[in-house]
Amino acid sequence: MLILALDTSTPCVSVAIGINGAVLGEVQLSRRAGEPQRHAEQLAPAIQYLCAELDVELAQLAGIAVGIGPGLFTGLRVGVTTAKVMAQSLRVPVVGIPSLDLVAYRVRHTSRLIAAALDGRRKEVFYALYRPVPGGVQRVSEYEVGTPDDLASELMARGDEVLLVGDGALLYRERLLEVHRSELAGLAYAAPSPAALVELAAARFEREEFTQPGELLPLYLRKSDAELQWERGRQ
Amino acid sequence: MKLRTGSAGETEALAEAIGALVRGGDVILLAGDLGAGKTTFTKGLARALGITDTIVSPTFTIVREYEGRVDLAHLDVYRLDHLQELHDIGFDELVDDSRVTVVEWGDVVAAALPRDRLEVWIELPAIPEESDDERIVSVSVHGPSWYERRAELERALAPYAGGGAAC
Repeated sequence: MLILALDTSTPCVSVAIGINGAVLGEVQLSRRAGEPQRHAEQLAPAIQYLCAELDVELAQLAGIAVGIGPGLFTGLRVGVTTAKVMAQSLRVPVVGIPSLDLVAYRVRHTSRLIAAALDGRRKEVFYALYRPVPGGVQRVSEYEVGTPDDLASELMARGDEVLLVGDGALLYRERLLEVHRSELAGLAYAAPSPAALVELAAARFEREEFTQPGELLPLYLRKSDAELQWERGRQ
Repeated sequence: MKLRTGSAGETEALAEAIGALVRGGDVILLAGDLGAGKTTFTKGLARALGITDTIVSPTFTIVREYEGRVDLAHLDVYRLDHLQELHDIGFDELVDDSRVTVVEWGDVVAAALPRDRLEVWIELPAIPEESDDERIVSVSVHGPSWYERRAELERALAPYAGGGAAC
């Protein structure tokens, strides 16, 4: 079963094609510091490139897997919308997986508590904590948004040996490495891995845990569900 | 701090004084009724940031960006109905160390703004002393990065004091 996997929850554009949980090929595009994000320009050509090089026709795809964040919204919606539209037009199922899970899964071969943190801008990170378990990771916290201080306090309270991973962990490494017995996974692990998405999604496709394309939603952690209260003055 | 300005020019000058203290990453919540002078305030702030382009009200575009010594993102949420729309325009990514973000009608979306911010409320005095252009401008600091600039801010705004008790 051929699966297309994509994640745009960070400044990176990540695409992979996998077969039965094994990666056939992956493309990951980063941007230099200060350069604008180009998810919308890069995602479709990356998919086309992979399909062409791997000799895969879109019609052969049996499913779409997408990282649903939490992440930077302007990028995230490009990936989630692309996944929805492709799933609908190809009439294949879609599976959404939290991007923090993808970051944590890459470093599952550790004995430490895994703290996955992605940059949420405005001096905040999206984060979740995981324990390595045979064959993967198990999440042991909620998905949270908070300052690096919030994350550091939570880690200190737990007192475990910690492996920090993700672009948020890298960005705030000075603060986070103050946590006793903490260690940082390098740049190669900073972005959600499309290969991890292929592997994690394969299990979900096997168990037929799909989402209807119309019901696929990005994971928001910030307050966004309120009508604005215009108590005064709007005409 | 409760301040008083006697004309649009003075409101602009007050904003310019604040502008001298702002830095990249700052968020300014700007509140006040229609015609209170929110865009006038932003013009003064922009001048302090070294922005030479003319500041135009962003009511219809929702956000306008300007380049200066420090860049400026000027938002007006007047046309938004739902908090989600603020995320849709990429607000979280707009707030960046390279620019100052000013949010007109920011009080309405306060729940979605960073806690670390400067709040500026512009009101018409109940009884003007001399002219209809007089304004009461209330400035308050929130969060550590503004708190450490509080003394400087008070000094810079001392010429406009006299709007009542300090807050």
